[in-house]
Amino acid sequence: MTRPPAPFVTFPLVALILASCGGEDTPGLVERSLSESEKSFRIVETSMDRFRYSSQPSAESAEASGGASEGLVYDTPEGWTEKPGSTMRDINFTFGPKGEGECYVARLPGAGGGLAANVNRWRGQMAAAPLTEEEVAALPTRPLFGQPARFVSVDGSFSPGMGSDQSFPDYRLMGLIVSVEAGAVFVKMTGPKALVEQNSAAFDQFINSLTVNTN
Amino acid sequence: MATPSSQKIDWSPQNWPRHFYRFFTSFKLATVVLVLMTVVTLLGTLGQVEHGLHAAKEKYFHSFFFTDKIFGVPVVLPGGLILMIVLFLNMTLGAIVKVRKRWKGAGLLISHIGMLMLLAGGFVTWAFSTDGYMALYPGMSSNRVESYREWQLEILPLSKDGVAEKAWIYPAENLETMRSDEQRIIHAESLPFDVVINGYSPNATPIPTSAPMAAGVTGKEIDGFKLSPQKPSKEAEQNLPGCFLEIRPRDGGAPIEAMLWAGSYRFDPREKPMPFTFKIGDQLYGAILMKKSWTVPFTVKLDEFIFERHPGIMTARNYESRVTRFEEGQPEKPLEIKMNEPMRHAGFTFFQESFGPSGSQPGDEMFSQFAVANNPADQWPLYSLIVTGVGLGVHFLIMLVNFTTRSRQRHAKTPASL
Repeated sequence: MTRPPAPFVTFPLVALILASCGGEDTPGLVERSLSESEKSFRIVETSMDRFRYSSQPSAESAEASGGASEGLVYDTPEGWTEKPGSTMRDINFTFGPKGEGECYVARLPGAGGGLAANVNRWRGQMAAAPLTEEEVAALPTRPLFGQPARFVSVDGSFSPGMGSDQSFPDYRLMGLIVSVEAGAVFVKMTGPKALVEQNSAAFDQFINSLTVNTN
Repeated sequence: MATPSSQKIDWSPQNWPRHFYRFFTSFKLATVVLVLMTVVTLLGTLGQVEHGLHAAKEKYFHSFFFTDKIFGVPVVLPGGLILMIVLFLNMTLGAIVKVRKRWKGAGLLISHIGMLMLLAGGFVTWAFSTDGYMALYPGMSSNRVESYREWQLEILPLSKDGVAEKAWIYPAENLETMRSDEQRIIHAESLPFDVVINGYSPNATPIPTSAPMAAGVTGKEIDGFKLSPQKPSKEAEQNLPGCFLEIRPRDGGAPIEAMLWAGSYRFDPREKPMPFTFKIGDQLYGAILMKKSWTVPFTVKLDEFIFERHPGIMTARNYESRVTRFEEGQPEKPLEIKMNEPMRHAGFTFFQESFGPSGSQPGDEMFSQFAVANNPADQWPLYSLIVTGVGLGVHFLIMLVNFTTRSRQRHAKTPASL
């Protein structure tokens, strides 16, 4: 006859079974009155505000002819206007008669989602079809901070997102992406196609001037 | 002749209480539990490095069972909660009930009662204590304490100016049990819609879809944002949960989708929380993840916050708060709350904890933050140590008296050798 399990085994087992019991608790909402200090809320229009993606004055102190932002040094091309940076943008410029052209630099720790995903995210914003991994790998490169950065140029109808449904036809997106495990850097220029073409030399001047401030 | 080990054990149900009693009064059980407690304490202490204080406490000490890797091998171990319950039963039955009552054992009996008080105090603390904080700028007053770590969903009928008189809450105890792939449909009779919560993450960040980081985030996009789940922070207070919400009007109207993030609440006592707003009929509603909060039976007003820095640097040298306590039927009471000099009243203890906003410069107005604890058993460790100490003292005296009595008796029986 098999000997029954010793109590040293059975009681912990029973405890384990009891501990694992218990059904899903799905009660409804509970009503409560708010005290005086809790009654007031701020009504905001957009998710941008609600999620605190507002501008920061990080670039306000940039010099007139050149700039510096969080350890970066660069030349500001003629006709470009430096704007305050934000949570997502280290350097931020506008250009064009109405400021409709835009160029920014964003840096991230880690690969920032990877090269192909970001190239196709940009292409998606221009309503262009995504590229395969091979096509992304075959994109031309340009130096950025001494690294070979993939150069992306797409024409199309630009949808900036960020809660906006607006779309801008006949736009051009030009940008560089370095995406490695140590970090990712994005330089992106958008605007009406003709305006971006006019500013392509300024774009080259800007990216060539971009260096890390080692002082 | 049969040896005791070969005797057949009667496992019939009527004998179970006896087996139960023998198991829980066993000295072997006490030894095993104490060894396991040592192991769990060691793992819990080491686990703090990886998980942070709060998560390690929950995993190792507030659990029935947990799994951990010892030398790379996954092992299931009993958690601190079950070990302490078993030890409590073992000591109660073995050292109080089963033990033979005699005067000689009175000291040990008292000591064991003291140790049981310590264990019971631990249980009361675990089950009934609360801890939170209250942050006030000078001139502000409040009777509301907010949780450090627990978040709840609140649905608010709002006026045009953003004022709400009441809220419907989905409590933190329920919200924090949600998995990321789980959906819950919540119904409230007095609201004209049902609320559906899904995609809950205990720590998350909303990422604009135009931002590079969004490229690696799967899941729903709402209003130009994706919700990126993050690894829970070691400092559990820093976790900011997020979830998706769907409002389903019961009149058949189109459902409304939203993304909620705890960062829309406030980081500063003067900030107003920013709910997601939507209209059902003519009524404006808000939905927001807010910290769980509760009230104390008195109001505290911060009259003055004194903050001193070390000369030439920004580090705080001293900070203390001058407050007035208001209570119905009681005179106003001016008080000071300093480091190591808390205010204790009505079962609550207000400690001077910290200050803000972060990065404030000399001359900036600052707020004072109090840690507010309510623990019915906060003095029990002291009482239990006193009882245990008295018990050991009594035991020592009994042993001393016994020894001297026996010595005298031996001397009296021994004939003089001289």
